[in-house]
Amino acid sequence: MITYENVTKIYKGDVLALRNITLEIAKGEFVFLVGPSGSGKSTFLRLLLREEMPSEGTIVVAGRDITKLSRWKIPHLRRNIGCVFQDYKLLTNKTVYENVAFALEVIGRPSNVIHNQVPQILDLVGLATKSENFPHELSGGEQQRVSIARAFVNRPLILLADEPSGNLDPTTTVGIMRLLDRINKTGTTVVMATHDQRIVDAMRRRVVELDRGAMVRDQARGVYGVSA
Amino acid sequence: MAFRAGYFGRETLISLRRNILMTLAGILTVAVSLLLFGSILLVSDAVDRGTARWKGGVEFEIFMQVDATEQQIGEVRAALDEDPDVESVRFLDQEDAFNEFQRIFVDEPDLRESIRPEDLPSSFRVVPTDPEFTEDIVARYEGSPGVGSIETAQEQVENVLSATNQLRNWVIGLTIALLAASLFLIVNTIRLATFARRREIEVMKLVGASNWFVRVPFVAEGMVQGAVGAGIAFAGIYVVQRVLFGGDPSNRPELLRGFIATQSDAISIGILCLVIGAVVGVSGAWLGLRRYLSV
Repeated sequence: MITYENVTKIYKGDVLALRNITLEIAKGEFVFLVGPSGSGKSTFLRLLLREEMPSEGTIVVAGRDITKLSRWKIPHLRRNIGCVFQDYKLLTNKTVYENVAFALEVIGRPSNVIHNQVPQILDLVGLATKSENFPHELSGGEQQRVSIARAFVNRPLILLADEPSGNLDPTTTVGIMRLLDRINKTGTTVVMATHDQRIVDAMRRRVVELDRGAMVRDQARGVYGVSA
Repeated sequence: MAFRAGYFGRETLISLRRNILMTLAGILTVAVSLLLFGSILLVSDAVDRGTARWKGGVEFEIFMQVDATEQQIGEVRAALDEDPDVESVRFLDQEDAFNEFQRIFVDEPDLRESIRPEDLPSSFRVVPTDPEFTEDIVARYEGSPGVGSIETAQEQVENVLSATNQLRNWVIGLTIALLAASLFLIVNTIRLATFARRREIEVMKLVGASNWFVRVPFVAEGMVQGAVGAGIAFAGIYVVQRVLFGGDPSNRPELLRGFIATQSDAISIGILCLVIGAVVGVSGAWLGLRRYLSV
């Protein structure tokens, strides 16, 4: 599903963000991306979305080399990749329903599909009763669920999560992780960057550790720290 | 597709309302510049038409010398009658000239009384078959025995034309400056609009909205500004046409009667303005989008 081959990313001013990363993630895998701030986790995700181009190497997503993708095809790549962030990125002037519907609306899905899919996905994330609420009326965990619903409503092949639990308390985090696990079980590949040791240790999934841009560990059913 | 049209319409309206002052500034400068532009086109249409009538319809006049003999007059008349370039000739003898003189200077009895018919030259009023032949004909008769002077309307017509051309060029220059100002205003409005909606744009890009989908509401916003401004200018041009040229032409001074721009002139100029307005609006939006919306 995702293949990184000798990928190096150097930002302007000789800032080395990723160094010679080679990695393969199969369809339906759940991968934790761990490492301290500045280790290259975010760059890893940004490359996957073609927000940045690698300085060297190739990245293949769903059989297509995305470093050779022409600009106008980038939106189509992104339709196959759902994204969840630490700060949710919800639109404050739209209701829960509208926030999720927006994701379908702007990729030109017909309204009957939207009317059909949005309630389904809200049901899946457990927010069916809050569809007319605005984001500020929800708890952090609920807002993150909306964000997950928006990322998943188009049934992408891949779900990227960048510190999804960064603003959440442990109990709420457990709920979010269950949800991501459930989404993973539908066959969606999940890549999650996190600092949260407890989650990683509890889930026992594949762990890829980055340190100063280099991949220092790739372990199936791993934990957060090597020594742990 | 209907749903998307609804989406674009809604987003465009929201955005127009959000920056209402900037939007109005853009609309007004487009309106003012195109109104100026349209009015001057209207006026120069009228001048073209008015002077064309002069050039084509008005005779020039060959004045005989006051002491020209009957024979000399007869020769010129015969030559004019045979001339293929001459459409028609009217001879005014000294008595006719005297009568016209009396009519023109009716308010100046002193002048009237000091002149007798034999002091005035007889003349031929000549209508050429084509105004372009005027110069040739004049050259042919200038210096013929008994011919005094020949007066054509050419020079006056040229003066009027060059004055209006100059005015038109100035106004078009001013229009371009104002259109540039409105372009910048629209660019700025669109920048503000993209800034106000940067979070939405971010989400749109994230979920894979195509570039054109992100852009359409902004381009529509620019186009609406340009087109509404042009629409106001259109209405203004229509009013200018009515005010300047709408009345009964027979109420106007004889000289100006030929200076007419019609309603259909106003409409075609208005349509031109609408096109220009829309183009300015769309280009403004496009320039405004360039910075923020690269993927």
